[in-house]
Amino acid sequence: MTLLIYGIINSVILALYALGFSLCYGISGIANFAHGAFYILSGFVAWNFMNAAGLPFYLAAVLAVAVTGLLGFLFYWALLLRIRGVPLAELIVTFAAGVGMLELLMWRGFYGMRYSLPLFVRGGVEIGPVAVDYQRLCVLTTGVVLVVLLWFFVHHTRIGLAFRAMAQNERTALSIGVESDWIGSLSLALGSALAAVAAMVVLPLGMMESAIGLEVLIYALAVAIVGGLESTVGMVAGSFIIGFGQVAVARYISAKWMIIAPLAAIVLVLVIKPSGLFGKFKELEERV
Amino acid sequence: MVATSVHRRKKRLDRGIKARTDTIFLIASWKDMLYLLLPRMLPVAILLVLPVLVKGYWGKVLVYACIYGLLALSWDFMAAGGLFSLGQALFFGLGAYLAGILNYYLHLPPVVTVPAATLGGGLLSAALLGSVVRLKGVYFAMITLMLPLLFKKVIETTGAFGGTHGLPSLTPFPSELLTAYLAVGGFLGSLFIFRRVINSDYGLVLRAIKDDDRAVMSGAINIYGRKIQAIFISGAVGSFAGALMTHYYQFLGMSVFALDYSILPVAAVALGGQGTFAGAAMGSLILVPLSESLRALGGLRIAIYCGILIVSIIGFPEGLFHYLARKYHQFERVVEVK
Amino acid sequence: MKKHLFVTALAVLFVSGPIFFPVGDALAAEPVIIGVPTSLYTPFGSYGLKAVELAVEEINAQGGVTVGDEKRPFKVVVADTRGGEPGTPVHDALMAYEKLITSEKPHAIVIGAFRSEVLIAAMDLVAKYKVPHLGTIAQTPRFQAQFKSDPAKYKYLFRVTTDALVDANYIAHTLDLLKTDYGLNKILYIYQDTLWAEAFAGLMRKHCGETGWTEVGYEPYAAGASDFSPAFSKAKENQAQVLAMVWDVPLGAGVFAKQYVAMKVPALLIGFIPPMGSPMAVKAVGPEVEYSITVEFPVGATLALAKLPKTGEFLDKFARKYGELPEPPAVNSSAYDAVFVLAQAIERAGSLDPDKLVTALEQTDYRGVSGRIRFDENHVMVFGETSPDETGVCVVFQWQKGSDGQLKRVPVYPAFLAEGPIQLPPWMKK
Repeated sequence: MTLLIYGIINSVILALYALGFSLCYGISGIANFAHGAFYILSGFVAWNFMNAAGLPFYLAAVLAVAVTGLLGFLFYWALLLRIRGVPLAELIVTFAAGVGMLELLMWRGFYGMRYSLPLFVRGGVEIGPVAVDYQRLCVLTTGVVLVVLLWFFVHHTRIGLAFRAMAQNERTALSIGVESDWIGSLSLALGSALAAVAAMVVLPLGMMESAIGLEVLIYALAVAIVGGLESTVGMVAGSFIIGFGQVAVARYISAKWMIIAPLAAIVLVLVIKPSGLFGKFKELEERV
Repeated sequence: MVATSVHRRKKRLDRGIKARTDTIFLIASWKDMLYLLLPRMLPVAILLVLPVLVKGYWGKVLVYACIYGLLALSWDFMAAGGLFSLGQALFFGLGAYLAGILNYYLHLPPVVTVPAATLGGGLLSAALLGSVVRLKGVYFAMITLMLPLLFKKVIETTGAFGGTHGLPSLTPFPSELLTAYLAVGGFLGSLFIFRRVINSDYGLVLRAIKDDDRAVMSGAINIYGRKIQAIFISGAVGSFAGALMTHYYQFLGMSVFALDYSILPVAAVALGGQGTFAGAAMGSLILVPLSESLRALGGLRIAIYCGILIVSIIGFPEGLFHYLARKYHQFERVVEVK
Repeated sequence: MKKHLFVTALAVLFVSGPIFFPVGDALAAEPVIIGVPTSLYTPFGSYGLKAVELAVEEINAQGGVTVGDEKRPFKVVVADTRGGEPGTPVHDALMAYEKLITSEKPHAIVIGAFRSEVLIAAMDLVAKYKVPHLGTIAQTPRFQAQFKSDPAKYKYLFRVTTDALVDANYIAHTLDLLKTDYGLNKILYIYQDTLWAEAFAGLMRKHCGETGWTEVGYEPYAAGASDFSPAFSKAKENQAQVLAMVWDVPLGAGVFAKQYVAMKVPALLIGFIPPMGSPMAVKAVGPEVEYSITVEFPVGATLALAKLPKTGEFLDKFARKYGELPEPPAVNSSAYDAVFVLAQAIERAGSLDPDKLVTALEQTDYRGVSGRIRFDENHVMVFGETSPDETGVCVVFQWQKGSDGQLKRVPVYPAFLAEGPIQLPPWMKK
């Protein structure tokens, strides 16, 4: 029972980490290695809104998501515009920007155990023999709601359809009047905003520290690879495999192997099924 | 009538000495000879003299630069075959651990451990990555990114080979000068050999695999075998760098699998320019001293370093080397568009 | 041409360097230079550096340190090794060390490496350059092992803080109190899977095995872990009465503290858990920190002790200068003491010659904030549990509700520092 409940919760946390990253990659083909930095940056922004500007947490959280989204948008126009389509340069620039952001945060004194975001609701509930806190249930609902919303957004709105058009065939999309740079920057904005949403619900579970940024990036990559980079279903499945894998390993083997589980999962999946478990266009040229 | 504004453009002309290709030159005089030789020989000469001139801390920086240079070269070689790796740390770490283990447990001298680690590291890399050479693009990149992290975690978890504390007090090289020349020699040697190989028939096949692997396959060439060979070669070069570093610092720890060793070489290539090896070499000879001289800035060092890196990559998306080569070989003048 | 560009860029950087780093006041006599190579972006490093600067300021206010017959001021030079940040290669940290040693030519080094791995690797470097090194962060027992392998070579290295096993003994003896006073006997251990924490947990386990505790679990977690629900469920299922925890990575420690509260584990929390020991814990973790027991090593790092006035004096000075109190995990009292130990040694030696300085350091007998400071044959500061007049000491405290309803940290062990007995939470009393 514990295994089940905490397995689900951990998987949803992983899915939240990966959601923005894999959406952004799926649409614009930009692997945003600054994803983790955006995640932790939003936490810092929210903390500042709360403690420097004295706003209540809810307002601060909403503002932080907006600010992070905007930053993602500017990030594209400022840095990625000129090097779009050169994977090597994209990779190094996003990665360097991410590391740079984390270092700046540290320089501003954002480390140690001083910083934490408040819980939405204190206390918890007993589900059968297992105690779960309300915050983790919030994480769970946020995760589910986000995935459903995204599905509607991508399938039933104009921008969402444009996103899909870009993902499927950039040239055709261009020829029917979808603006590539516009969509690219929007996808980055959306990806960063999603990272911020994840940060707002997950960060209150523990302390905030700049170093978490790198951790989030690694998990996002792990999930995206296991699930295949383009499909939402795959991403959710990927996070469940890794999430449950971790809890099961901790319970039945030893907790110290927990971190190894996701890495080993990636290696195994890629060796056995190179396109990820749910990659869509797998036999086409890109993968194999 | 509307007055039409005058449009101007830059017109580029190859210098007379260069007859339209990159390899055939028309040499007429000493001046032409110098024109060709200077940019090739001068850096080599400087590198060969430097170990004698700079000592102590900056001597270490030179070795460090050459070690990153080796990793960058090995990255560029794999990339030439379409293998886009984010895990040079794997090669580096394997070489370092092989050399360290041989030295620490079997007490073998560096004369034995460095070559053994170079070969063994190459073989191990080929064996490890051999099963995933079917992957392409970002997927290959991701798995190479994850493998060194996995190794690091395994060593951390199992406590094997010194665990989190590492193995201290390994045998050093006899002298600083020898180490410096080993690093510089390995670096220049790899640069020279790679530049030769990539233009030979063998290199041609590699580059063809990158451009169109199906076409190469239909030419009855086993592309996976070729890719594994490429991994072996660049794995060996990376392992050599790792073994060198281990004996140089007399210390081996799991941080040899750190992300820095994967990302910095790629950054060097991105800065210098892909595909020519000279670009990779140049990138690392710029980045490492840059990072060291920024130490004076204290805490902001890495942030500023990242900033410089980003600006120069955005400024020269094709790579610094390609840019400089073009400037060197071409005239430019502004002409009116008619 | 390419060289030219590069040189220009470098020149610009060098020129702009001093703008970022204001140079300290130039004093008349040539200063004695203290090098501080450490990981600045960790509480250990940043608070340690602040403590060093505080001590230096005090000494300089007195005119400095007497070298031979000349008064010379101290000057602190800093290098960021980034050793505490995950993913920093040891080689990179060593480069920072070497750069500091060769370009600033410090007469001695305080604080030093953050990660044990870096310290062990830096030992050869320090021995090579012969710089007296008063380390105050890394607590690994491997230091002594390495030292013993060649004492003549490593004689420049000293440690002015606790060994991981010292704190473990304090906790083990606090567990004895719990057993005799309240009859608790079921324990579950959780520890971060690194060498020092393993040694810590192993010592507790051994001690409790000998004193009749029932062990219901011994759980190593990888240092990057961010979910402890398996261990908490296990504790609940097996009705553990005490959770013994050893952890210092902020991420995991924070999640642990909050998750312990959230999962309502009916067990007393004890051990080395920095966020629970922090003065800010009530705000950062929540009011549920009440009853949790943490060790502070050495004394004076963050908690002012009524029975050891020096700790209060030090923390007051710290708060006055910086407007904030240090937080754990911090070893700032050690860093502060180290500067005075160094100053006295210099005066005794009458010279800055490293070998003479080492001999003088070996004779150290100083009453500092952290107790009486002497070094054993491995150049490690001696700690004990009997009296601050004998050795260095640590303190174990518990979060308790005072008469005014405010939560505060009350020292409970050792007896000569305790200000009250351990309290058992109401939900544990039968």
